[in-house]
Amino acid sequence: MALYAQPPTSYSVPTTAPIEHRFNPYSDNGGTILAIAGKDFSVIAGDTRQSEGYSIQTRYARKVWQLTDKVVLATNGFAADGNNFVKRVKQRLEWYEHAHHKPMGLKSIARMIQTILYGKRFFPYYVYNILGGIEEDGSGAVYSFDPVGSYEREACRAAGAAQSLIQPFLDNQVYFKNQQPAPGSAPFVPGNLPLSTILSLVVDSFTSATERHIEVGDGMEIYVVMNRGRNTDDLLGPGILAESMHVEELGALGEGGGEKTFLVTSPLKRD
Amino acid sequence: MECSFGITGKDYVLIAADTSAGRSIVRMKSDENKIKTLGPHLAMAYGGEPGDTNNFAEYIERNLRLYHIRNHFPLLPPSASAWIRRTLAESIRSRKPYAVNLLLGGYDTTTDLPHLYWIDYLGTKAIVPYAAHGMGVYVSLSTMDKWWYEGMDKREGIEVLKKCVDEVEKRLTVALKFNCILIDKNGIHKIDLSEQDPIAKVEASPEETAVEAPNPPIEVGA
Amino acid sequence: MELNGGSVVAMIGKDCVAIASDLRLGNQSVGVASNFEKVFPVNDKLYYGIPGLASDVYTLREHLRFRVNMYRMKEEREITPKTFTHLVSSTLYEKRFGPFFVEPVVAGIPSPTPLDPHPRPFISTMDTIGCITTPKDFAVAGTAADKLYGVAEGLWEPDLEPEDLFETISQTLLNAVDRDALSGWGVVVHLITADKVVTRTLRARMD
Repeated sequence: MALYAQPPTSYSVPTTAPIEHRFNPYSDNGGTILAIAGKDFSVIAGDTRQSEGYSIQTRYARKVWQLTDKVVLATNGFAADGNNFVKRVKQRLEWYEHAHHKPMGLKSIARMIQTILYGKRFFPYYVYNILGGIEEDGSGAVYSFDPVGSYEREACRAAGAAQSLIQPFLDNQVYFKNQQPAPGSAPFVPGNLPLSTILSLVVDSFTSATERHIEVGDGMEIYVVMNRGRNTDDLLGPGILAESMHVEELGALGEGGGEKTFLVTSPLKRD
Repeated sequence: MECSFGITGKDYVLIAADTSAGRSIVRMKSDENKIKTLGPHLAMAYGGEPGDTNNFAEYIERNLRLYHIRNHFPLLPPSASAWIRRTLAESIRSRKPYAVNLLLGGYDTTTDLPHLYWIDYLGTKAIVPYAAHGMGVYVSLSTMDKWWYEGMDKREGIEVLKKCVDEVEKRLTVALKFNCILIDKNGIHKIDLSEQDPIAKVEASPEETAVEAPNPPIEVGA
Repeated sequence: MELNGGSVVAMIGKDCVAIASDLRLGNQSVGVASNFEKVFPVNDKLYYGIPGLASDVYTLREHLRFRVNMYRMKEEREITPKTFTHLVSSTLYEKRFGPFFVEPVVAGIPSPTPLDPHPRPFISTMDTIGCITTPKDFAVAGTAADKLYGVAEGLWEPDLEPEDLFETISQTLLNAVDRDALSGWGVVVHLITADKVVTRTLRARMD
C-alpha cells in the first residue's frame, strides 16, 4: 500500500496565508424587461422569475410598477436595489403631488430618475430601468436608463438577462432595421405600430427568451397604458388575447385624468 | 512603435516598413531594413519579437529559394502565402512559437495581378487590398479607407502611402523613417518616399532602382 | 473567438437548408478584412461554416478539404452531411486538450438512397471539442450567438419555402450582427435545395 504510505503534502502543510473575505453588496437576479411605445399608448412588460445563479428564488416577483395613472416603471438587475429604488421614486412622486396638487409628468419623472440614479454615482443602484407611459402631448413614450442615470427616449427597448436576445429582434420588428418598404408603399415610421402587433411582439419576445435563456420564464406581466379617450377594443375586444392570457383594468391612482392602465398577465414556461 | 503598410494598385503592390530597431524607448538602430525580398516578384515586411523576426524571415527566404531552385519557378504569391501561413500556424502551437507579423506582397506574373496578404503570428491570413501592422493601424487604416480606390495607378498609390506616413508622423510620438518598395511585372523597385515623384526614377532607370532579388532565375542546361 | 470575431447561422426549411456567415475578420476591435467568408462548400449539397479563431478556421478548412478529398477517392461517392459531421467532430476531438478554437455548423441535404428515398434536410453544430447537436430548427455559432438565438427564435417557423427561408436567415443574421461589434462588415448567404445552391452577398451596414 505504498500509495497510501504518505499523506499528500497538501494535508500536512497547513495553509498560513490569510483568506480574504470581502462583502459583495451586489447580486444579479436575472429576468428581463422590455417596453414599446405606440402612437397613443405604451406597453411595458417584464417576466416574473427571480433567480440567483442557478436557483430560482421565486416564480413571482414584480418587476413592473404602476407609478401614476400614465406612467409605468420596469426595473431589472439587482432586485433589492430595484425594490428600494422604486420605493424612493414613489416617495418622491408623493411629495411632488403634495407640493403641487398634480401628479408628476412622464418626462419629469424620467429626469428625476436620472438625478436619483446619478446621486448614487459611486455606489450605484445596480438596476436597469425602462420607463413607459403617456407624454404630456398624449403620445406613447419609452425612456431607458443605465444604472447611473444616462437616459434616452426611444420607441422601444429591452433590458436585462435576455437583452441580447430580444433587442436585435425589436430592432428588426419595431425599428424595421434591414427592411425596406415595398416599392411605392409608405415609408416605415417606428413608434406607430398597432397595439395588437405590439402585443404579439412582446409575447413572442418573452416566449423566445424563455426558450433560450434560463433566467427568463414563469410568467409575464404586460402593462398597457392608454391615452385618455382612446378606444380599448383592440385590447378588450373578443379574440384579441390568447386563451391563457388574463386582462384587468387597474383603477386610477389619483383623481384620474382619463388615462387607462391595463395589466395583461400570461404564464410562461417554468423549466 | 513598429509599423508597416501595404497597398495594392492596378498592376503593382507597394510595401513600406519603418526602419527603427530597439527595445521599449531606446532606439538602437535607425536604418534597419525590415522588408525582405523573397523572389523576383515577392517580398514581405515583417515585425514582431526581435530575434524571431530575422530568424523567421531568413527561414522563409531560404525555403522559397529552395523551391525556386528545385522547380525552376518561384512559388506564386497565393501559394507562398499559404505556405508561410501554415508555417506560422504550426509554430503557434509549438513549444517555442515565432512571434512574427508580416505583410506579404507579390505580383503574379501568370495572371498579371497584384496580391497583398495580411498575416499575423497566429497564422491568421487575410487577402486585402490595403493593410497595416503595428501601431500604424490605428492611424493609417482610416487614411487608406478614405483615399484608396480600386485600380489606382502607381503615382496615386504613392500618394496614399505618403498620406499614411504623414499621418504616422503627425499622430505617433516617435519619429520614424520608412523603407519602401514597389513590386510590378518588372520586379521589385526601391522607392524613396522623400522624393517628389519617386515613380519617375523607376520609369527612367529601372535597373538603378531594382532591388536585387535573392532568387535570380537559374539557367539550367542549354 | 473574441480575437477575430464572426458568426454563422444555419436553418432548416421545407426540403431546403440555408447557411450564412458574416464577412468580418478583425484583430480585437480593429477590422482587418471585410471579405473573410466562414462558410465553405463540401459538395453541391453540403456546406459548413466555422466561426472562431481565424487561424484555426483556415487550418481546419484545409484539413477537412484534404479528408473529404481522400474520402471521395476511396469511397467513390460523396460524403453525407451526417458522416461529415462525425468527421469534423472526431477531427476536433483529436485535439481534446489543445483544441481548435472554432464552433462548426454543418448544413446539407442528403442524397436519396434506396434505404432512405426521402431524406430530410440536415443541420448540426459542435462545440470546440466536437460534441455534436443536431437541431430540428436552426443552429447558431460565433460572437453573435446569443443575438442570433433571440432573433432566430422569433422569426423562424417550420417548413419555410426556399425564398422564405432565405429571407428569414438573412434578416436573422443581419439584425444579430448589427448588435455585435465583432461581427458584420457584410453577409453571405447560401441557400441549398435538392437541385441547386444559390449564394447571395447581402448589402449590410459596414460599421
